[in-house]
Amino acid sequence: MRSYIIRRILMLIPVLIGISLCIFLIMQLIPGDVISGLLGIEENPELRAQYVKKFGLDQPLYKQYLDWITNVVKGDFGTSFRTEKEILPEMMSRFKITFQLTIMAAVISWLIAIPLGIISALKRNTWIDGVVRFVALLGVSVPNFAFATLLILFLSIAFDYYPPVGYVGFFENSKVNMEIMILPAIVLGTIMSGSVMRMTRSSVLEVLRQDFIKTVRAKGASEKVVIFVHALRNGLIPIITLIGMQIGGLLGGTVVTEQIFSIPGLGQMVLTAINQRDYPVVQGCILFIAFIYVMVNLIVDILYTYVDPRISYK
Amino acid sequence: MKKKVLSIFLLLVLMTMIFTACGGNEKPATEQPAATGQEQPAEAPAQILKYGTDAEPVGLDPHTISAVASVRIFRQIYNTLIDVDGDMNFIPELAESWEQPDDLTYIFNLRHGVKFHNGREMVADDVKYSFERILNPDTAALGKSYYDSISTIEVVDDYTVKFILKEPFAPFMSNLTSLYGAIVPKEVVEENENLMQVACGTGPFMLQEWVPDNKVILTKNPDYFVEGQPKLDSIEFYVMTDEASRIAALRTGSVHLIKLPASSISLVEGNDDITIMDFQSNDYLFLGFNFDLDKFKDVRVRQAISYAINRQEIIDLVYDGEATVTGLVPPAMGRWAMDYASEDLYQQNIEKAKQLMAEAGYPDGFETTIAVGLLDDIRGAGEILQKQLEQIGIKATIENLESGQYVDAWKNRTHEMMAGRNGAGTDPNRSVAFFYSSTGSANVWGYSNPAVDALCDQGKITVDEAKREEVYKEAQKLLVNDCPNIWIASPMDYYFVRKEMKNFNPSTFDLENFNDVTIE
Repeated sequence: MRSYIIRRILMLIPVLIGISLCIFLIMQLIPGDVISGLLGIEENPELRAQYVKKFGLDQPLYKQYLDWITNVVKGDFGTSFRTEKEILPEMMSRFKITFQLTIMAAVISWLIAIPLGIISALKRNTWIDGVVRFVALLGVSVPNFAFATLLILFLSIAFDYYPPVGYVGFFENSKVNMEIMILPAIVLGTIMSGSVMRMTRSSVLEVLRQDFIKTVRAKGASEKVVIFVHALRNGLIPIITLIGMQIGGLLGGTVVTEQIFSIPGLGQMVLTAINQRDYPVVQGCILFIAFIYVMVNLIVDILYTYVDPRISYK
Repeated sequence: MKKKVLSIFLLLVLMTMIFTACGGNEKPATEQPAATGQEQPAEAPAQILKYGTDAEPVGLDPHTISAVASVRIFRQIYNTLIDVDGDMNFIPELAESWEQPDDLTYIFNLRHGVKFHNGREMVADDVKYSFERILNPDTAALGKSYYDSISTIEVVDDYTVKFILKEPFAPFMSNLTSLYGAIVPKEVVEENENLMQVACGTGPFMLQEWVPDNKVILTKNPDYFVEGQPKLDSIEFYVMTDEASRIAALRTGSVHLIKLPASSISLVEGNDDITIMDFQSNDYLFLGFNFDLDKFKDVRVRQAISYAINRQEIIDLVYDGEATVTGLVPPAMGRWAMDYASEDLYQQNIEKAKQLMAEAGYPDGFETTIAVGLLDDIRGAGEILQKQLEQIGIKATIENLESGQYVDAWKNRTHEMMAGRNGAGTDPNRSVAFFYSSTGSANVWGYSNPAVDALCDQGKITVDEAKREEVYKEAQKLLVNDCPNIWIASPMDYYFVRKEMKNFNPSTFDLENFNDVTIE
């Protein structure tokens, strides 16, 4: 087990190097550069030359990349071209916000999806199943920005309600923080729950068809035990895989939802940086997001061994 | 190992449980808006203006930053030597009075007792330091070219500063009204290397807190040099990138002020709590040409296009009629602007346009493209121009460009035609020479007309205002006839204001003056 984890972590290195190279090159390829955005209409050759020198953009590309990546390895993500702020501390404080939002959204989605998924499997082909499947389909197909915009407009028009303006940290004032975070979490959670619900339903159904369930029932186990101890546990693997992927995706930034609810998370930071062509910020954040995504997958793989002891990594 | 992983897992479960518990408790709050709505006024009896802004400031250094989102904030923090009023006359700001003994010398008498936000008095040395900082190439100040004509800056005494120019430079005074020439304290710059994250000026408000992508809070400067101003205790800027979200926040009174394009007016119509304030902007909508292409080098083609389009139709369809026909010096510039609407080239005349096209060798027109940026009005105008140009056989395809691509096309002249919006500045030198002289930094078109260049040079050194006006009027006449751009309309700018916000009177050259604003 330990050697497996070490191997997986070592495998991270080539992945991250590949990603860093790709993102570095992509940023060079997209039209527009940080200096045009910064100077706007005041641009003239003299000013441009000043900034090219200041940002080190006069260096050959390979050297720019090597300088950047060596600093990153040393833990120095550099400073933003546009704001001249250090990238790493800001990225971390943004990540905390996105992390909280992700966890809240995930919990909301499990609370909705798993019970409904099980009910729907048990009441297969009844009207209850129909309703649940319809709702799940809505969750899968409604884009989160549409749901978020509708929700905010609806609350403001019908109830004259708007969440508190200006983000407040959980440890500063948890009540206000929760009021700010709950709406985006509901949006992300409901949208996520659609696919989890469908996965739970099909997964439980599949297990219920298997022979060992007959055995369990035959030995006289109660329906509760059949479902929660045997069916759900055995059907959990694909659900965990899906949830892991969703969480990994959310942690990488929930850009649109963050934007609509004015939540200063990681997604907002990346989006602003891309629009401004702020190379070191985009590169640093994407690298970090990739790292998180890979780590979440690793955690999911480890979780498998607890859910299903037959799985082991040698 | 197994235990450790298990404990991490348990910790995660515990955390999620905590979050659920809190989330569960808070949920009813979202369904009982009335309760929260009533709490707010009780919490905040102080005079706090809440402004919902569309973007995060990139930094607060007035010398190196021109982003609107930043200027909006530091214009409350810093002052310039002089300012300009609605009729484009110079009025005192940090300088109480000034004199100009000859064409090259400007002497400013500073206000006494003005204090920086750190408590130190602002004196002539600070003025000298600020302009030296701007002129130092290492600062990479955006407004360096505004003040390049300065030869020496002399501190006569604590309250008198003398500028001597290298050569007569008529725009000098109006350039001093720009925030690119803000007066900053030396010790604060030196301590922090720059003014990106810190701010210390002489203005009505002081920087209290800036939380990235979230909010900026300014508090009242108790020592502000105008007695009784500002009336507000603080201004809170909240970043709300999403338009729908800004409108919702205004509707519920969570913010008092937002800026939106004309297209959003219908969304708040009939709402008694919201007033829409409009004023003539200093921008103009234009259609530009690439002078590398033979077809656009031909003045007859450009004139034909001017005859082919119907400016009023664009104003009616894009701006709901709320814009003014303009040329390169928009009407907000007052006496500097000539009367464009009556020009022959501004009257739609398809016959004449066709005839000019035929003379130029394009009796059947040609195919081309119109590059447009992301702004709604520019895109809308692009589509109408496309239709109007069809009448003389010009088949234009619209190219929608993301802002980075747009700037690239603009700079590298990779477009054929391009629709856009430009700001005309506060001095005719900016409106004319900057965009249309052969050496102008913003003459991206490749346009060159020696007669215009000569007038631009003359306008720059003619200090006598009346003569200067004549020079620029003549230049405008030449340019209108030459059509290096087709200027279309100068739109209005809009503020959406809650009824609680009083005494806010935005105007072209005094956009966001909150000094007299109160919240009731």
